Amino acid sequence: MNITSVLFVGVGGDGIITASNIVAQACMLAGFDVKKSEIHGMSQRGGSVSASVRFGDKVYSPTDKKGSVQFMFATEKVELLRWVEYLNPASKVIANDRIVPIIGQTIDENKIDEMIQSLTVEKLIKRKFSEDAKKLGNPRLTNTIMLGVLSKFLPIDEKYFFEAIDDVLPEKLRTVNATAFSYGVNLAKEYA
Amino acid sequence: MSFKLVKKIVSGNQAISIGAYKGNARFGSGYPGTPSSEILEHFKNYPTVTAQWAPNEKAGFEAALGASLAGVRSFATMKHVGLNVAADPLMTSSYTGVNAGFVVVVADDPGMHSSQNEQDSRRYAKFAKVPLIEPSDPFEAMGFMQYAFIVSEKFDTPVIFRSTTRVSHSLGMVQFDPRTLDNEQELELKKDFRKYVMIPSNAIQRHKVVINRLEELKKFSEETPLNKIESGSNNIGIITSSMAYNYVKEILPDAHIFKVGFSYPMPINKIREFVKQFDKVLVVEELEPFMEEELKIAGINIEGKKYFPVDGEFNLDIVEEGLHKAGILKDKTTKVFNAFELPKRPPALCPGCPHRPIFDILHSIRNIFITGDIGCYTLGALPPLAAMHTTVCMGASISMAVGIAKAQSKEKVVAVIGDSTFFHTGIQPLIDAHVNKANMTVIILDNRITAMTGGQPDPSTGFTLKGEDFQPIKIKELAKSLGIERVFEVDQYDYKTTKELIEREINHDGLSVIIPTRPCVLAPKKIKDKPLTVVADKCTGCKRCLRIACPAIDFKNKKAIIDEVLCTGCEVCKHVCPIEGAIVPKEEK
Repeated sequence: MNITSVLFVGVGGDGIITASNIVAQACMLAGFDVKKSEIHGMSQRGGSVSASVRFGDKVYSPTDKKGSVQFMFATEKVELLRWVEYLNPASKVIANDRIVPIIGQTIDENKIDEMIQSLTVEKLIKRKFSEDAKKLGNPRLTNTIMLGVLSKFLPIDEKYFFEAIDDVLPEKLRTVNATAFSYGVNLAKEYA
Repeated sequence: MSFKLVKKIVSGNQAISIGAYKGNARFGSGYPGTPSSEILEHFKNYPTVTAQWAPNEKAGFEAALGASLAGVRSFATMKHVGLNVAADPLMTSSYTGVNAGFVVVVADDPGMHSSQNEQDSRRYAKFAKVPLIEPSDPFEAMGFMQYAFIVSEKFDTPVIFRSTTRVSHSLGMVQFDPRTLDNEQELELKKDFRKYVMIPSNAIQRHKVVINRLEELKKFSEETPLNKIESGSNNIGIITSSMAYNYVKEILPDAHIFKVGFSYPMPINKIREFVKQFDKVLVVEELEPFMEEELKIAGINIEGKKYFPVDGEFNLDIVEEGLHKAGILKDKTTKVFNAFELPKRPPALCPGCPHRPIFDILHSIRNIFITGDIGCYTLGALPPLAAMHTTVCMGASISMAVGIAKAQSKEKVVAVIGDSTFFHTGIQPLIDAHVNKANMTVIILDNRITAMTGGQPDPSTGFTLKGEDFQPIKIKELAKSLGIERVFEVDQYDYKTTKELIEREINHDGLSVIIPTRPCVLAPKKIKDKPLTVVADKCTGCKRCLRIACPAIDFKNKKAIIDEVLCTGCEVCKHVCPIEGAIVPKEEK
């Protein structure tokens, strides 16, 4: 069975659910069967959050098997590492270069970066996407920029992503997110 | 008339709601509980339906049953533990039967993503002798739900419609015509003394009806398209249902699969024929060996839980491992990357959560026993707040405190409960505490919302699921009306006053009720004051502020720091900080 899957990982409040909804919608518009699953922690904010989007001719399971994910979309570095068992050497990882603190614990960022560098995946795009978003005037556009980068590696035409942004986001956020998406598409050229 | 099919990605819960509407259900009631809450939240958007939250699952169940008797197709929603609360009417509604179709939607939580146990609701179908329908994805959830109303009317019985977290919360594609309705029909309120009044002389007769109905349902289970065979190309036979079906299909696309969608009573004869074709047949089912037991009782030679766990949620890896153990799968793909040792990210109360000061205060008081309840505030049990000694089920905080207080006098007892939980099953135990003179303190955290499940309104909120206003019930006045004398409201952001009040009432002999009144920081509207900041020169690095477990506070270079994006300005950290002026509003720095 030919299934492509994208695993979204991050922290509650990061916008994982919205980002994965946009990808799922784009997959549907492109004519694929698609299934999606979300895992939220117990807390409204701050817990680990993940979502899988799986698409192909026919998809049964909404969740992934370990070692089977082709793409990972990580909004935070510790969470990226928490899900490495789902990756394989052919996986491509797009990660925001940032750490969200954990209550009662100190995180050694250098060590986290070392761990990430030790991963032998096909492509690792680790970048301070939040800085890009600030350049565009809104830190909340980070995920959409990352989606733009991701889209260049997926077998889905760009136009379906723009349509999906229109379908998923409220009207007032559409234009600014379409701009952020285009920014990400351009950025992807640096990493091609 | 032209038909316009809408293709959409929806969650299992949305699909259940769409199926209910398309099945002409016009009444839905329930109590919010993950993973079931979104069903009614979606259903309420249809303008012509009645959709309402009930104070508990029993009340919601009974309201929906009443609507059914009045001739309106209806359903009740709840999570698995909610069916325990509604078990009483479930058992007897099996006897009364229904008028218009009546479906009990129950969502199990294998893996306990947000639950206190992982019971398997399928057992209730057998217990109550009612049919059980189980979809495996959103597409089926929509169609099966419509079908459930037809089954209910055909056999004059409540139908249990069982979902699981992974069915309810995963998203898949459905295609439907939003306008078409399933056989719209007019039924009227029926007065039928022998059917609906379960005094013993009537119930004795109705029990026989239930037993006969079960025989009819057994025949129906053999015929219904919900139980179907998907022929494969190899010689492997699998019997499966619900989400487990998807994992099997992905791992063994060529297997012969008996897919069970109508799982009680089981289609015994059809499965017996299916099993004959294979040397070995496996039952792959999540949680309890429910189907396995039914089949073994019928003398059918199958295997199941020998290879699969009875606890936890299934996934592709677990199902693959079980199939491997059973010798059905020969080669197994290996894991590529090993996991890292990483700090866990435990759930925490939100920044600015009004429950935080209460638990910080309770944590500081010695020789008290704190009984807790189900809600966001259950997180008060985790370190560093660590101020909760029991959590069993909704309402149990107050009732267990009564028992503990009556049984011993060494430790003072404090029960902590939220507003929604109080209305759910906390009122009766409070009456018990008053009547039986329990020496205890009840703290009712009235944030005026059912916060944990995403902010559904409750009787203290003042508006309904459909957004209509009502005069909210004041817990203080309610408690006073019971005859309790010591009832106090307090603003818990006023840390010092709250601490003094709690300490005073714990030391007072007799029953006291304290109602902290700050609303939830997330709902109904987000409350945010100016963010705070730490004055680095004054911070001594004592870490007292870290003990309130606020996600906005971090510790770097031996000083506390506050994330101004997360901080809501609730000032609890400022109140617990021993240094005057070390935590101040951001712009005054």
